[in-house]
Amino acid sequence: MEDLKKLSEAIIGGDAQSARAITEKALSQGIDPVRIVHDYMVPAMNEVGRRFDCNEYFVPELLLSARAMKSCLELLRPKLASGGVKAAGRVVIGTVKGDLHDIGKNLVAAMLEGGGFEVIDLGVNVTPEKFVDAVKNMDANIVAMSALLTTTMPSMKTTIDALKNAGLREKVKVLVGGAPITQKFADDIGADGYSENAPGAVSLARKLLAA
Amino acid sequence: MTSMKSRERVRTAINHRMPDRVPIDLGSTPVTGIHATTYSKLREALGLKKQPVKVIEPMQMLAEIEPEVLEILGVDTIGLQLPSTMFGFPNSGWKPFKFFDGTDLLVSEYFNVTVDSNGDLLMHPGGDLTAPPSARMPKDGFYFDAIVRQRPDAEENLDSRVFAEEQVRLYNDEELNYLQTTADYYYKNSDKSIVGCWWQGGLGDIAQVPGMSIREPHGIRDPQRWYEMLIEKPDYIRGIFEIQTEIGIENLKLYRQAVGDKIDVIVVSGTDFGSQRGPLISRSLFQTLWMPFYKKINDWIHSHTNWKTFYHSCGSIEMLMEDFIECGIDIINPVQCSAAGMEPKNLKQKYGDRIVFWGGGVNTQYTLPFGTADEVKKESAERIEIFCKNGGYVFTTIHNIQANTPPENVIAMFGAAVGNFF
Repeated sequence: MEDLKKLSEAIIGGDAQSARAITEKALSQGIDPVRIVHDYMVPAMNEVGRRFDCNEYFVPELLLSARAMKSCLELLRPKLASGGVKAAGRVVIGTVKGDLHDIGKNLVAAMLEGGGFEVIDLGVNVTPEKFVDAVKNMDANIVAMSALLTTTMPSMKTTIDALKNAGLREKVKVLVGGAPITQKFADDIGADGYSENAPGAVSLARKLLAA
Repeated sequence: MTSMKSRERVRTAINHRMPDRVPIDLGSTPVTGIHATTYSKLREALGLKKQPVKVIEPMQMLAEIEPEVLEILGVDTIGLQLPSTMFGFPNSGWKPFKFFDGTDLLVSEYFNVTVDSNGDLLMHPGGDLTAPPSARMPKDGFYFDAIVRQRPDAEENLDSRVFAEEQVRLYNDEELNYLQTTADYYYKNSDKSIVGCWWQGGLGDIAQVPGMSIREPHGIRDPQRWYEMLIEKPDYIRGIFEIQTEIGIENLKLYRQAVGDKIDVIVVSGTDFGSQRGPLISRSLFQTLWMPFYKKINDWIHSHTNWKTFYHSCGSIEMLMEDFIECGIDIINPVQCSAAGMEPKNLKQKYGDRIVFWGGGVNTQYTLPFGTADEVKKESAERIEIFCKNGGYVFTTIHNIQANTPPENVIAMFGAAVGNFF
């Protein structure tokens, strides 16, 4: 049987090639994909988050681990979908209107995915209408918005207002993040949560859905 | 104390002595500037005649600040910049351009944009409309951002030299002549301290990685992939830094011949090492990949000139400050006090006698755009009191003054620095 501890190690070490090879082998040996995700990948990404939190890991390490994790998920996703596995939650994520910056948003998306969430990434420069449509059509329960610019932060409030007007605000939890965002700003615009970093967004999403 | 001239004031401060008042920078570099739309409103608020604003840096849409505004605001610096742009076209031959919000601007005659189906503006390398676009400004936006154009086969044949030589080349005679003539002119006709915007030590500057001025860039041009490569392929990155440093030092020799000691400060690097919460990279990565090259550049400057080395890095960089000082960085900008571990008192106390803080003035993420004029005044005065003690400080905002900033807040900020409120 494939030693899946090595999968965790490969993800933590940011080695996409090994992580993918181990996953491939494990699947061919008939190991349950749910077990691979829950027992090895999610704990590995939790460890990556922990290392980031205590300044052992920085952005490059985080990106490499996310890359390794994503390359495994590419193989696992079809199996998980056909097995009817329920995700921890369904997240619609995007960088708000007027803003083209996506490294932070991509990291949050990857960490959420690694945390067992289903993530629908709307990309950058996402209008409030597009967020509303996605929530409606995809039946999401979390909206995650990112902004790097002070000039685009106000679009987060516009999006929350658009969700209210569409009668969807109570249906979803709204998370916000990005360099200029603060807890105070999140509170002022009526978001449900703010995280100052990508690993924090995962625990926040879990907490909000459990509440 | 008799009042100092601007040049003397800046020189005193950057040599860690106390000037007559805090020296002020606005617009000497493209990281201490002001967005053209905000500048237009500022001019109006200062009671100046309405006229189109010249865009001196088209990526961030920064305004050229006219001498009369420099005088009114009490600015002590002036930038020596080649008339070229991040997009690879010359900044010359001005033509009118109406911005999204209706502000009348003047842009380079080579500033040629196309508009896509969303109404976004697309900028093309070298202003050449036959080349695929290299940057985009979203409709109703304020800045351009790079379009990632990394070739699909980019990772197959990574060659440090190809990348490095696309980033930098030796100065030509025309450029050196411009530097010499302009430095002479500023030195003789103004009393301002001249800041040389050299920038070629910006190793791995993420704004430069996508190669917006290059028609067909080679190598790693996707910023996200670039960060990964720092760990995955450090030899490729080190090779780039090595060649860029070699060319950079050759250019420093030419630069020194052209401008001598007319400049007081040389802007070396704009590579960002900080995020809001901590450094972007580990200290050991900084020490192995960047420090040897920064040291080489700074050593050359210190042994051949009187220039002070100016490095720009946004974000939380407190963890790297000892290394910055050790490798010969004299001035750090923009001192982003809103980032983790960047509290002014602590920074000044720990490092203030060994490095000059250039910035730190007002929080451009909150106070300046969203606060009241009184809040701006109060924050500016507090920062000046902390940072200016015993010199070693030049006042300016934390990074450029952004779009959508109320002009009265800008005026309040400079008022606090010069001690009057117009």
